[in-house]
Amino acid sequence: MRFLLTAFLSLSFSIISLSQNKFTISGYMKDAANGEALIGATVYIKETGTGGITNEYGFYSITLPPSNYNLHYSYVGYAPVSKGVELAKNERIDIELTPEAEQLQEVVVQAEIEQANVQNLEMSTNKLDIKTIQRIPSFLGEADLIRSLQLLPGVSTVGEGASGFNVRGGSVGQNLILLDEAPVYNSSHLLGFFSVFNPDAVKDVKLYKGAIPARYGGRLSSLLDVRMKEGNSKKMEVTGGIGTIFSRIAVEGPLIKDKASFIVAVRRSYIDILATPFVKLLQDGGALNFYDITLKANYNINPKNRVYVSGYFGRDNFKFDKNQGFSWGNATSTLRWNHIFNDRLFSNFTAVYSNYDYSLQFGRDEKDSFKWNSLISNYILKPQFTYFINSNNELNFGAEAIYYNFQPANAVGVSNGVSTDVSIPKKYNLETSLYVSNSQKISHTFSVDYGLRYSFFNSYGPDSTYTYSTEVPGTRRVPISVKQYKSGEVIASYGNFEPRLSFKIQATPTSSLKGSYNRMVQYLHLISNTTASNPLDVWNPSSQNIKPQLSDQYTLGWFKDLGSARQFEMSVEGYLRYNQNQVDYINGASLLINRYLEGDLLSGQGRAYGLETYFQKKTGRLTGWISYTLAKTELKVDGINRNDWYPTRYNQTHNLKIAAFYEINKRWSFSANFVYTSGTPATFPTSRYISQGILIPYNANDSRNNVTLPAYHRLDISFRLEGKKTKNGKERKNTDYWVFGIYNLYARQNPFSIYFSQSDSRVPQGQAISSQATQLSIIGSLVPSISYNFKF
Amino acid sequence: MKSPIYIFLFLVSGFVFQSCETKINPILETADPILVVDAWVTNKPGKQTIILAKSQAYFDNTLPPPVSGAVVTVTNDQNKVFLFNEDVAKPGNYVWKPVGSEVFGVIGNSYKLSVQAEGEKYEATSHMGPVSKVDTIKFKKNESTQQNPDFYRAEFLAKDVIGRGDTYWIRTYKNGIYLNKPSEINIAYDAGFNAGGSFFSRVEKTTDGRDTTIFVDFIPPIRGRINPNDKDANDKSVSPYVPGDSVYVEINSITVAAFNYLNQVSIQTNRPGGFSELFARPIANVSTNIVNINPNGKRALGFFNVAAVTGLGQKFNK
Repeated sequence: MRFLLTAFLSLSFSIISLSQNKFTISGYMKDAANGEALIGATVYIKETGTGGITNEYGFYSITLPPSNYNLHYSYVGYAPVSKGVELAKNERIDIELTPEAEQLQEVVVQAEIEQANVQNLEMSTNKLDIKTIQRIPSFLGEADLIRSLQLLPGVSTVGEGASGFNVRGGSVGQNLILLDEAPVYNSSHLLGFFSVFNPDAVKDVKLYKGAIPARYGGRLSSLLDVRMKEGNSKKMEVTGGIGTIFSRIAVEGPLIKDKASFIVAVRRSYIDILATPFVKLLQDGGALNFYDITLKANYNINPKNRVYVSGYFGRDNFKFDKNQGFSWGNATSTLRWNHIFNDRLFSNFTAVYSNYDYSLQFGRDEKDSFKWNSLISNYILKPQFTYFINSNNELNFGAEAIYYNFQPANAVGVSNGVSTDVSIPKKYNLETSLYVSNSQKISHTFSVDYGLRYSFFNSYGPDSTYTYSTEVPGTRRVPISVKQYKSGEVIASYGNFEPRLSFKIQATPTSSLKGSYNRMVQYLHLISNTTASNPLDVWNPSSQNIKPQLSDQYTLGWFKDLGSARQFEMSVEGYLRYNQNQVDYINGASLLINRYLEGDLLSGQGRAYGLETYFQKKTGRLTGWISYTLAKTELKVDGINRNDWYPTRYNQTHNLKIAAFYEINKRWSFSANFVYTSGTPATFPTSRYISQGILIPYNANDSRNNVTLPAYHRLDISFRLEGKKTKNGKERKNTDYWVFGIYNLYARQNPFSIYFSQSDSRVPQGQAISSQATQLSIIGSLVPSISYNFKF
Repeated sequence: MKSPIYIFLFLVSGFVFQSCETKINPILETADPILVVDAWVTNKPGKQTIILAKSQAYFDNTLPPPVSGAVVTVTNDQNKVFLFNEDVAKPGNYVWKPVGSEVFGVIGNSYKLSVQAEGEKYEATSHMGPVSKVDTIKFKKNESTQQNPDFYRAEFLAKDVIGRGDTYWIRTYKNGIYLNKPSEINIAYDAGFNAGGSFFSRVEKTTDGRDTTIFVDFIPPIRGRINPNDKDANDKSVSPYVPGDSVYVEINSITVAAFNYLNQVSIQTNRPGGFSELFARPIANVSTNIVNINPNGKRALGFFNVAAVTGLGQKFNK
């Protein structure tokens, strides 16, 4: 701690002392049409060849010696603005950029245009514009954030129906998903078919796969930063759509023009509403629906203060009748206050509440019933500061405190009138972190970002901890002693330094070499041993018996812009990751409502490496990208696979994605995407044997994931028809468009899994039993869809 | 907002949302056959059988090859030896025959199995735990649904033995035929599913300080898992029981190790397919308690358990 503080102070003072007799230009950049802050927009100063980039709130700050400057404000898809400044005092310049509406609508993925010259150190990140997400052909026509991400390099999934996504060989539970700074613990509706984010309410999506800034921590693999729209501050606007699965509506508008605005967006599946007249189950109190509500408001108090409040509530409901069923959902709320201390010190204070819970209820009557719910909730406080020291240094520092409340299972079972409470004790944890980092331009060609995060994790009583027996690795360990802790007593503590470092060498004006090292620490573990993760998976904190996961990642990449107008962009990035304290499970592990869960967990190490290549065409009638990843991810756990390395369930050697968007004419456009990935690994038996009349598969080599499933490939297409711009010669106020799509165009039956079983028929004792292997495809055919979208 | 009709104008397109399964014949790695010991002996009256056989290639759909000429004995903690002799008519079947009304085993005793086969010597241990009795069996008509019109399902009631850590295997016979499908494996840890679940019969203090015994019945999913899963020629489920059928429910006390074994067997073999594959666990080898006394010798598969058994039969009269 002391080390951190000293390092930070000496660093700040040494840099501050260099920055005398200079003035600062700062301000916000916004969209002129709706007042939305522009994230990652560029300010370029012709005279110095340097510049700045707006942060997550659209704020920028540049400090320069007094002189005359020409500032060039730009953002992809917007008309640039140039402005001359006679810098003799600190200047506040808020800029609004106008979208280039009349231009053929183009797809925007990475806002790296014109940034090759400026101080952008970022690597291993991908930004997806919501307009792009809306153009990607999607399953059942529902624009989907998570599924769109899966078209990016380094991102994969085990198949349709699987929740979440895998980044650079990490598991689903190693991604931190933030919705306006609030963690989202389950990103899926209806298992994994749809994600919980309403595209109408999302402004910006950024995925960090490596080189994660010091201000973020808590997960090993990636950070998905989802920012909601602030709401149109110029005029009222209603957007919505009717699709095959959801109906959506969003209302946004100014509360006080240019000062305060709001957005409310609602989505609901409606298949049950259509089906109720025909399905008795639904008339009898059964349910099958999912919905989400997204809200946000902001108030621009004065040029120095702005507050935002945002919330999300989503739920999936599956009920067999009035008393039996299953439901789950996330709820988050975020309060943020942007305060500008002075032209160079920007701050943001965030308070978050986030909750994920599920509940199940079974039983015909009071005498026999089972009620069970589980939740993880947390409260977060996060002060963050950015100090724009000068045009060569940007200092970020801050802290974060997260208080977790885990309720692994609150469950009461009644068996023939006798009630038994089988709840698992609640768990209380506090995760605190401090961070400081500086982004420094050392010369015109060399920049570095160096930072340090220190995280500290405590688990508190009341709780009981168990000491487990030592067994042959891979088998169940049983509790041999128990220790009780009183309320507030510290049970286990862990502290970790997390160094972060990245650099950029600007080789030529259009190409650069970037590299990074970072250490990530994860104190929460998603406990799941099923093929695909599912809503019942529980999160478990680190404890006396479960150590925090650690990951060290090294990346090196080469980035190049091509073409006369730099319309092409390409990159090649390699990564190497070493993970410690990875969780795996004994055979026959019992993960739900089990107070001795820790006895069924195994711990091991992981490694992942890969090469990601990416080529993108950003402008013109044809836009799109090609992404190819060559990768490997493995685990080594005592007691599994003869204690040798084995590929993880989500290992994919080859991963090719092509996304293309073509403007046919002013009204019609065409989109297509093609995916080809190597099959994921599976375990196949070698032998079979009979025990008590049951045929058991057996792998005589004790292998795990010794076979690769057949490759996965799929082509999706969609056509978009813009509504007429005029009606009876007059311009229409509202705009609308139709999307016609086909998912899995050539009806490929992609294997999700191959499973081995005995034949279904009943075999009399003493007779031979047949074995069989079955290949399962979750999507067995092509899936057409249609949706209508409007805005007025 | 000129044409609100737009909002309601939509087509529900072909809603294809169906999974699809194909039988395949992948090429598998090969392996040498391994000795399999199927030794589940009980205190039921009559002879007890232990079967020795070999594992086969996974797609070898013949009867498993028997292992003949082995020496099979079980010894209890008073050093009494029960000799299992190979049945000449059924190679690989090793049988112990009682003398008079003798039964195999006593609750509370421990047993050691010894198998000498093919030049190797294997051992396994077990313990006969207490068992509860089946109280009642009832037949109930299902509320009719579109898929299943008139279904009759059976349910039994039985109470867990007092204390933690009693484990059971419930075996069901319909019209004298043992239900041996993987989906019909029915095991209980106390009255529930696992050690951490805490459904168990116990002695508790009342508010005025007296001891009171609380018996907990097996939880409903266990009670109801005595119904055969059968389908007709059109692949439609049939009523598990119809009037005139009889059911016999047997509770076997098993060791915790045997519970873990059967639990693993159930996970590895009960694969209904379809969307349930999303929640399937990776294939892993089922454990065994058969140990080669030479750690470098060939391994064996299978399990040895000594069970106390109770049972109850019920005929379904409408």
